[in-house]
This record gives sequence, C-alpha cells and structure tokens, in this order.
Amino acid sequence: MKTILSFVLAVFLFTSCQNSPNSTNKAGESTKKVSITAAGATFPMPYYNLVFKNYTKESDVLVTYGGIGSGGGIRSLKDKVVDFGATDAYLSDNKLAEMPASIVHIPTCLGAVVIAYNLPGIDGLKLSNELLEKIFMGEITNWNNTALKSNNPDVKFPNKELTFIHRSDGSGTTHIFSDYMSKISSKWADIVGTGKSLKWPVGMGAKGNPGVAGTISQTEGSIGYIGSEFAFAQKIQTAKVQNSSGAYIEPNIASISAAAQGEIPADTRIMLTNSSDPASYPISGFTWIILYKEQGYDGRSEAQALGTLTFLDWLISEKAQSDASKVNYAPLPPLTVEKAKTILRSVTYNGKTLLN
Amino acid sequence: MESINTLLDQDHSTRRLLKDKLVLAGIILFSLLTVSPIVLIISKLLVKGYRQISLDFIIKNTPDTYEAITAVANGEIIPGGIANGIVGTFLMVVLASALAIPIGVLTGIYLYENQGKRMSNLTRSVSDILQGVPSIVLGLISYLWIVKHVTMGYSALAGSISMSIMMLPMIVRSTEETLKMIPQTLKEAALALGVPYHKVILRVLIPTGFSGLLTGILLGISRILGETAPLLLTALGSSMINLDMTKPSSAIPLLIWEFYNDPNMVDLIWSSSLLLMAIVLILNIVSKQIIANRR
Amino acid sequence: MNSDKITKSVLFSVSILILMLAAGMVYSLVGGAIPAFKAFGLNFIISGEWDPSEGRENYGALPFIVGTLLTSFAALIISLPLSFSTSLFLGEYYKETKVARIIGLLVDLLAGIPSIVYGLWGFYVLRPFLIDLGFGGQGFGIFTASLILAIMIIPYATSLSNEIIRMVPNDLKEAAYSLGATRLEVISSVIIPNARSGIVAGYILAFGRALGETMAVTMLIGNTNIVPTGFFQTGNTMASVIANQFGEADGLKLSSLIAIALLLFVITGVVNALGKMIIKKFS
Repeated sequence: MKTILSFVLAVFLFTSCQNSPNSTNKAGESTKKVSITAAGATFPMPYYNLVFKNYTKESDVLVTYGGIGSGGGIRSLKDKVVDFGATDAYLSDNKLAEMPASIVHIPTCLGAVVIAYNLPGIDGLKLSNELLEKIFMGEITNWNNTALKSNNPDVKFPNKELTFIHRSDGSGTTHIFSDYMSKISSKWADIVGTGKSLKWPVGMGAKGNPGVAGTISQTEGSIGYIGSEFAFAQKIQTAKVQNSSGAYIEPNIASISAAAQGEIPADTRIMLTNSSDPASYPISGFTWIILYKEQGYDGRSEAQALGTLTFLDWLISEKAQSDASKVNYAPLPPLTVEKAKTILRSVTYNGKTLLN
Repeated sequence: MESINTLLDQDHSTRRLLKDKLVLAGIILFSLLTVSPIVLIISKLLVKGYRQISLDFIIKNTPDTYEAITAVANGEIIPGGIANGIVGTFLMVVLASALAIPIGVLTGIYLYENQGKRMSNLTRSVSDILQGVPSIVLGLISYLWIVKHVTMGYSALAGSISMSIMMLPMIVRSTEETLKMIPQTLKEAALALGVPYHKVILRVLIPTGFSGLLTGILLGISRILGETAPLLLTALGSSMINLDMTKPSSAIPLLIWEFYNDPNMVDLIWSSSLLLMAIVLILNIVSKQIIANRR
Repeated sequence: MNSDKITKSVLFSVSILILMLAAGMVYSLVGGAIPAFKAFGLNFIISGEWDPSEGRENYGALPFIVGTLLTSFAALIISLPLSFSTSLFLGEYYKETKVARIIGLLVDLLAGIPSIVYGLWGFYVLRPFLIDLGFGGQGFGIFTASLILAIMIIPYATSLSNEIIRMVPNDLKEAAYSLGATRLEVISSVIIPNARSGIVAGYILAFGRALGETMAVTMLIGNTNIVPTGFFQTGNTMASVIANQFGEADGLKLSSLIAIALLLFVITGVVNALGKMIIKKFS
C-alpha cells in the first residue's frame, strides 16, 4: 500500500516539474517556449501530421493536432482552446456571425472526393452526370442497367446488385460530394441538398472514410464516395467523372490542383466543385485553417500569436507545399498562395499587424 | 426386487446425479464458448501485428505518413513506434486511478455500512446509472469543465478526469458487493475487541476483500485503457512524448484512432492493440500474484 | 468514539461526491439540451424523424431509443448463459485450479481490448461470417451489434460474479453436501441465493456497459436513423449517433444530441430501477 502511494506521489512530482520550460534570457525576462495546439478536420490529417512534425523538427516549436472533425475544430476555436482550427467546409456568413470575433480562412491544400466502386476487372468506369444522379438517387439498382452500358460500350457489366455506401457520420467529404451533386443535378439539389449530414434517399451508412473504403473493398457491386487519399493509398477502383467542360477526368494530383486555377475570392471562401478549368477534377476542394483576425484575445501573448502566424506562413510556403503530393494531397497553386499570404499579413495583435 | 430399487431411489439420486453431470457438461461447453472469441481476436491480432513489434516500437514516437508510405512501398515494416502513446496512457491512467480508487472504495464501504438507507440507495442507483453513460458524453463533460475552464486548452488532465469517472461505478459496486460477502462475524469480532472503526476497515475488511476489490479496479483500468472517444475531446493527442498534464497528450487508443484514419498506417493498429493487451495481461498477472502472496 | 465519527463522516462526504458529480453532469447537459426541447417539445422523445437537411431540420429520438434498448437487452440475454456458466466454472467447479486461472485470464483480457478493435474485428471477421451463415444483406444490423456487445460485456458480468461466488462461505456449502446434495443442488440452493446480490450487480454493470458502448456498435449497426422493424435490420443507438454526429454537429443538431445523452441517463435509471424491482419480486 505504502509503496503504491509513494509511487503515485513520485509520478506527480515528476510530471509537475515538466511544465513548459521557462528560461530567462539576458534581460532577465522569462521566455516561454511556444507550442501550438490545433484541432479539426480528419481529411487532411495525414498531410498535417507530416508537415507539422517537420516544422517541429526544424524550429523546435511543438505543433499538436487532433483530428476530431471540422465541427470540433470550429467549436474549439469558438471556445478559444486552440490556436487555430481546421475545417473542410468554410464557414457560411451565418456561422461567421455566431463566432465571438471575426475569423479568417487560410487554405492549406487541396484534396478530392472520388467515386469509388468494386467491380473486379472493370477499371476506369465513366460516369456521366445523369448516371451519377440516377445511381445516387436510387434509380439504378443493378450494374447491367442499359444507361450504364450505353455510356461505357466497351465494358461487360455483370448482373450484380448495386449498393450505395455513404457516410453515416457528419463529414466535410459529404459536404463536398453533395455540393457537387447539387450543382450537376437539380433533382438532387431539391430533394437531398448540400450538407455535412444528409437524409439519404438510398444506401447504407458506414463510419468514416475508412468505414466506407473498407465496406466498398469488401462488397462486390458497391459504389460510394471517399476522400482521394484513401483511394490512392488502398488502390481502390475510381470512376472518371465529367467536369464542367464535359471531359471525363481521372482524379490525380494535377487535375485536383487545376481546380483551384480559376477565380478565387480574396477571403478564399469558395467551393471548388465543378470548377471552370478544363483540366480540373470536378469534385475537389480546399481545406482551410481558421483563426481569429485579432489575436490579442483572452490574455493571449504576442509571442504565441507571432509563433502561430510564423508557422502558418511556413505552412503555405514552398517547403511545406512540396510535401503535399508526396502523401497524395494536391499543393496550392501560386495565386492561392498569394491570397493566403495577404490574409496572414492582415492578422493583427492589439491592432497592429505581426507579419510583413 | 423392483420395490427395493424404488425404495433405494426414493431420493431420486440417479436423476439428480444425471442432472448434475449434464449441467456440468453444459457449463464446460459454455465456458469454452465464452473463451473462443478472445482466442479468435488475439490470434488475429498476433497474425497481423507481430511483425511490427520490436524494441523500437516501444521507445520511438509515431512515424508520419510519408515514412509509412515509403516503408509499405518497399515492403518493409513501418518505422517508429508508439512511445508517445504509451507514456501518455500511463500518466493519465495513474492519475485517473489515483482519483477513482480512493473515492470508489470509500463510497463502496459507505454503501456496505449503510444498507437500506435512502441515501445509500440513491448513491447506488446513481452509480449504476453512471455506468451507462457513453464515454463520449463523459468526454464532453470533461471538455466543458476542464478544457474550457481549468486548463484553457486540451490537456491530459481533462483526459484523466473523464477516465476516472468511467472507472468509478465499477469500483464502487465491486467494493460494496465484495464486502457484503465477508462474514459479519469477522467485523463484529474486531469491533468487539475495541478496534476503532477506521482500523477495522483498513486492517480487516479491505485485506479480506482484497481480491474482489482488485477485480473491480482491474476491470475499470482495462476499460479506460482502450477508450478513444473521450480522449478525442480532452487529451487531443501529440506527436511527441508529453509530461505536462496541462497540455495535450497522446494515448494508445488515440494513436489507434489516428492509424485507423490514415490509410497508410492501418497496419499499426494491430501491433498497438497487441501492446495494449500485453499491458492488460501484465496487470492481471501482477495482481493475481499480489493476491496469492497475501494468502 | 471520535475517530469513528470522523470515519463515518469521511465515508459520507465521499459518497456525496458521486451524487454531486451526477448532478453536475445533468446540469451541464440540460443547458445544452434546452434548445432542442424548446424546438420540438416532448414530441422529441417519440418522434421517428431525423432530418439534418439545412432549412428543414427535424430531430427525434425514437429510432435511437429503440435501437439502444434492443441491442442492450439482446446483448444481455446472449451473454447471460455464457458469463453465468463461466463464473460458475471459475468460482465453484474449478476453483483455484490452473485451468481456472488461464480461463479467468482470457476472460479478463476481453475487457482490455479497445472498443475500436472490437469494431474492426466485428467488421472484418464477424460480418463475413454472418453473411456466410446466410443472414443476408451486408452483415450490418441490430443482431451483429448485439453479438459484439455480448462479447464485450462478458468480462464485466463474469469477473464480478466469479469473485462473489468464490466468497460464499465454505461451511454453508459443506453443510449442504453433508445432507447429500449434489453439486448442482448446492449451487442452486446455497451459492446462488447467497451470492445473488453480487451476481445481479455484475449484470447491472454489464448492462450499463452495453447501453453506453459507442465505437464497436457504430461500426456494425448500419447507422440508419429509422426505427428498426426487424432484428436483422440496420438501425442506430443513442450512444452511436452521438459519437457519429458529434464531431460535426452544431446548433440545433448539437442540442438534439445532448438531449439524447440526457434521455440515456433517464432511460438507464428507469431500466435499472425496473430490473431491481423485478428481481426483488422473484426472491
């Protein structure tokens, strides 16, 4: 009994001595090492884990990220328990009004939502906009449907039930997918709409990208939508879809980046689905980081604010962006980087800007 | 002749013995059936995860996706390990236990001593209800209380608090029920000798019921070792070892969640789970040894 | 005796902590749940609608209440014979033997498996197994979820009951044996009545665990937000929908989820109380 008590006591004394290292510089001021905490979307998590770790190695500033979901990221920023949040869907004007102070969006990379399916031996399926509408609204229930055949005349379709696998949890992936569907199908826009969570007309729900990807891999004849990094990593069959110019595009790093080549508003809040660029993959999107425009809130130190901004500046720089394609994410095109840099330089601490 | 047999069998002994043997057979069958899932699950974990286990796995921090992609592409095992998770889990479990064990045991003793009183019935019912609260709700509570107001940010402390709430009902109930099984005579003898009440608790009741108490504690610890949802809202995670309880920290179930969500690191799930099971195994063996030594 | 008084008041104050904890939790949850109850009223409890579409949000808790009760009760019923037999095996029949130690260890290990791993194992192993057995569909559903829950709660029921059964005083058992009772009769007429309180406590804990389990259920139940009409259909539970939607929820939806958490508190209390009453009637 006594040994256990003394053990527990020892653990506590040990950990309480490990508070953020305080050192004093020559002027006698205490300089606390800055560490950055962030939370939000799971979609960019593999990319963030990589670059955040690289930054920590380079600059000795610990960056911690928790993939708790875009909603969690927004909530954490609202509650001011993180330095910045991460979200796959930008905040609408209504949502912006609900935040305690004005926030800015910084895009960090691009990803895409792919239409994945499981039909052994049949690769590179072409799905026109009409076909997508019919499949996801439940009008096509078997793969040997004539509409599918006429769009893919060289393919021999099996007589197999078609099952739609969608997300059961709220997600930014669903948001991007439904936004695209609403743009190409007015029927979808009326009945289902756009959102992170939807009332699905047909199909089965699986939890998370891994759940949907896993279910599709295990179920012949299934079709659904998943984040691109999953499809690339697990080599799941993906369909070609039509972009706004009518061409059938395969999702890859180049076509995803192309989606951001068009006009982007200054605050970067835009959905990149069905982008106008002729080489773009139509179901692509930014993922953003959100933080307060005025960083001098709630006793936040200038050092902390500067550390956060310096980090974000590094995140959109060439160094971090070049790592994106290594892990199957698409880097920001130069015009977007310029806009992001401008936004960062507008962030203030007690009224004056920090970066220049 | 028949009448003698029926006389001898007046107590239905053949039938009763038959029933006895049948039930024993059934019990053995069901027990084996009960154990089969664990055997299946552990063998699956072993088959998929043993390659990843090495000393590195325990002392290095988590790899990033790129390291994983290159390793998988080259057919090697993914480098790195889960040291940040192991340390985080350890610290949070120790703190959670330090809170939950005294409170749980003392409450269990109170319930044992005050059977039938309204207050103890209420406490017992509330404790049973707490057992049914989903872990994510406990995480939310800890987020609202600790993350927002105490540590002003995600922290291992918040994680520990949610863990300790999860452990409480189990410890309370197992303490109370264990103590109820101790013959009254033991307690009365000690009291009759003039032993002060708190010594009766410490020197008579707890040692006698030690095995049962430890079972409840072990069950509680086993559960919190593997819960992810509350930690997502409290400890958040970390790529490095963190010893500061007021800052975010990693934990093994959190890392399992990260591996699950990253298509390139899925292989690490199995070895991490194996490690967790090894920890549970060690805890079990050590506690059985402690109990054996006391006898 | 002063020290006795102090001891008694220490015990009392510590027990109040649990009550204060629960009260605090309810208070925090009620605050978050009010918008939902304001918007939907008490109809929230019996409404089967769950429509998250923007502009026409309508939430109701019925599908999840039904799903929770179905899966938890089914899990309890499935695990009862298994865990009861095992606790008898460990606590009476093969008490203190090597076999018992190994089996006891294996059962305790079940408690240490992370719930996400249960979900994965259920997804990759149990599901195809059920499909092979001919249960149709994709293998998701209430039944699959109940099965995995049953496995998860076995250690809670078994370990506690095992300890309690072991502690039945030997002299009681020996008295029965000396009167010519068979093993079975000693168990049914001496051990079980004596250990009943502890055994029941074990099952209440196990049931509570089943009510609140999130990860494993959410990966196997199919996540359809409608009231299930058959045992092999897909559905959803209260804990699972909270875990699924919480990350992305805000506004009215978040409030509805918190309201569901509150309802779970109430339902757990009601079911526990009913169970205890029924058991009292049977004794």
